[in-house]
Order: sequence, then structure tokens, then C-alpha cells
Amino acid sequence: MYNLRRFILKHHFVILFILLEVISILLLANSQRFHRNRLVNTTNDVVGKIYEWGSEVGNYFRLNTTNEQLAEENAMLRQQLSVVYDTTTCTYDITQGDTLYKYIPAQVVNNSTNQANNYIIINKGRKDGVERDMSVISSDGIVGVVIDVSRNYASIMSLLHSESVVGVRFKNNQEIAGVKWETNNYRYGMVEDIPTHIVLQKGDTVLTSSHSHIFPEDLMVGTVEEFYPTAVDALSKAKIRYATDFATLRHVYVIKDLHKPELDSLKAKLQ
Amino acid sequence: MNKTVLNIIRFVALVLLQVLVINHIRLGGYVHPYIYMIFIMLLPFSMPKWQILVLGFVTGLTIDLFTGTPGLHAGATTLMAFCRPSIISLISGNQKFENIYEPNLSQLDGMWFFRYVLCLVLIHHFALFFLESFSIHLIGQVLLRILLSVPVSVFLIMMILYIFKTEKRRE
Repeated sequence: MYNLRRFILKHHFVILFILLEVISILLLANSQRFHRNRLVNTTNDVVGKIYEWGSEVGNYFRLNTTNEQLAEENAMLRQQLSVVYDTTTCTYDITQGDTLYKYIPAQVVNNSTNQANNYIIINKGRKDGVERDMSVISSDGIVGVVIDVSRNYASIMSLLHSESVVGVRFKNNQEIAGVKWETNNYRYGMVEDIPTHIVLQKGDTVLTSSHSHIFPEDLMVGTVEEFYPTAVDALSKAKIRYATDFATLRHVYVIKDLHKPELDSLKAKLQ
Repeated sequence: MNKTVLNIIRFVALVLLQVLVINHIRLGGYVHPYIYMIFIMLLPFSMPKWQILVLGFVTGLTIDLFTGTPGLHAGATTLMAFCRPSIISLISGNQKFENIYEPNLSQLDGMWFFRYVLCLVLIHHFALFFLESFSIHLIGQVLLRILLSVPVSVFLIMMILYIFKTEKRRE
């Protein structure tokens, strides 16, 4: 016992070093689970607040571009509204049809594009109705999935994440595939499971498929940048340019699927 | 000013600078500069080695909280803090620092400081990018990242150190 104590005292520096490194590597190895842990939830509000201060300063410098983007989106929405404009009564009839989705507007307070796993923090949380697994889009295209919610903030797993896979559909031929991130460029994703009989052109539109249980159908994902046909393998590949520019992302919408509880209970019955 | 208060202010300022400004620098996707390690580099010479180690771990973990990567920066910064005493004795040879409280540019020459910063940044970036890539990137990509990020980090760190040099008077 005395020897053990002497050993620990003599080598306390090295022992402490090994101990701290082991803790770090364990944390890193469990980081996926750790992110869903409550421990992060309590600190999330503090981190969110600090990021919000930071982005408030930056927002002033981007007011011009933000205004332009919002004006463009306004114009587009107005055009869509004209479909339901009733010329006889001069009113907008938006009650027609079944509303499936509710949109919660939010602002990005922190965002990264240069890590191997990127996360986005937005300034809407549980008190605004944001829940885990909801999808997030921008005015250009899809952005990611909510993975953690605190009272005032939510963390989103960006498309730029090593584990992100999105079920997509090519607009031209209805073929279904999955988009992954290339991991070193924030502008491009990769599709690796295209059957050989499918031929794609540069600029072909990629939309979310109905098979994706996270994103609503027919949302913009991006366009085909390069197509790599293969003769040997059974599957071709394609490089996809994301419609969303993650580097300048400021305004996003969280989508609440109003039919999700119904769908989930049906699925639970099947299993 | 009290040295402990100065160190706390330095810690907060460097963490905020890192997460609010430096982390948003985008230079081609391969360059990821880090400067928050200045806090560990400038700790007093007389501080017990184990305290430096613990502070290294805490600093790294604070950055991890902001980037959502638990253990990544903590691991790299702990390794850097572990190597700090050996690096100091390695690059200074017979030079003694009995009347110097902490590494600073007004009492130590620029070349010594440059080698000190370069060695520690190399250790930190090697550990960081290898821990990060674990199973995602290829070795070549990781080495390219290190090769491109180290000069930028060293440049930024030396710049920050020179900017704040005048504030400290000779004791």
C-alpha cells in the first residue's frame, strides 16, 4: 500500500495525463449518445445565448443581403398565393385543402461547415414548439434535422454530417437514391446507389422522396453537378450541389408535420 | 493587476475569440486555425505541471461545448499541456527563467517564442486532426489539413502576442 502511494505520488503527472486522455477519448467515442444526453441540454441555453450575442453583431453587416433574400422569397410566396386568390370576392382562400405542415421561422445563431460533423444552433426551442426529429429547411432547400432541444434553442444535425443520409428522388426519372455528404466541401454531396440504366445530366433536379420519413416530399435538395457512370460496378455515382448555401445560412424554417403522430401510431401497430 | 484575474480574463477572451470569430474563418475547407491554446502557452513557469494539465483539459472541454465535439479539443489540449514542460527545456537549453514569471515577448526573444509556439501548435494540431478523423478521412487529407493549418495558426498566435506585447511592462 505504501509502495502504491509512493508510486502514484512519484508519477502523478503521467498518471493524471493518461487519465485525462482516457476521459477525452471515451467522451469522443460516445459523442453521438452524449449529444442526446441531458447534460448538454442544461448548457445548451448558455452556449446558445453566447452565440446569439455573437451573431447579433454579425447580422448588422448582412442586413442588405438578408433583405434581398427575404424580398425574393416574399415575391415567390405571393406568386403561389395567386393560385388561391378568389377574383369574385377579392380574398385569399387558404382554407381549401388539408394543411399538413406548420412552419416555424427561426434564425441561425451558430453554424459550422468545416468540421467532419457539423451542427447548427437556432434561436427557437421547446417553448416555440420545436421538437426532436423535425426537419429544417431554408428558402433554397433542405438544411437538416433537429436532434436536441432546450427551452430557447435547438441543435440541428446539418446535411454536412458524416452520418447524414437523405432519401431523394431525381425529378426526371423518379429514381430513388440516398445523398451523403462528401465530408470536405460544404457545397457538395454524393449519391452512390444509382442503378446503371439511369443516365443523369448536369443540372438535373434532386428532390426529397416520399420514402424519407424526416423530410416532407418534393423539397429541393440540389442539382446534379457531375455524373460518374460505371461499367464494372452495378451502381453509378453522382456529385450533387446542395441548393442551400450553408456558409451564408441565416433564416430557416422548422417544419412541424401535423400528421406525424397519426403516422407513427400506424407504424407502431405494424411492428 | 492580479495575475489570476488576468489569466481568467485571458481565458474568457480567447475562448470567445475562438468560437465567435476564428471558427468562422473559411479558407478552402482545409485550413482550420486555432488560437485558444495561447492560454496554456502563457501560464506561469512556476505553476505545478499537474495544474497546467488540468487547465489544458478544461480549456479544451470549453471549446468542445461550443463546437459540439466532446473530448476532441480536450484530448488535443491535454496532450499539448503534457508536452509543455519538455518543450520548454528542449528549446531553451541552459537558459533559466528564475526571474521571469510567465512566457512573454518583452523578456524573451522573438525566436525563442516562435519555436515555442511552433512546437506546441504542431503537437496540438497533430492530435486534434487525427482524433477528429478517426474513421472518416484518409491519412493524406489529415496531413494536408495539418500542413495547411499549422502556419496559419502560428501566424495568428504570434500576431495576437505581438499586439498585446506593449501592455506588459518589464518587472
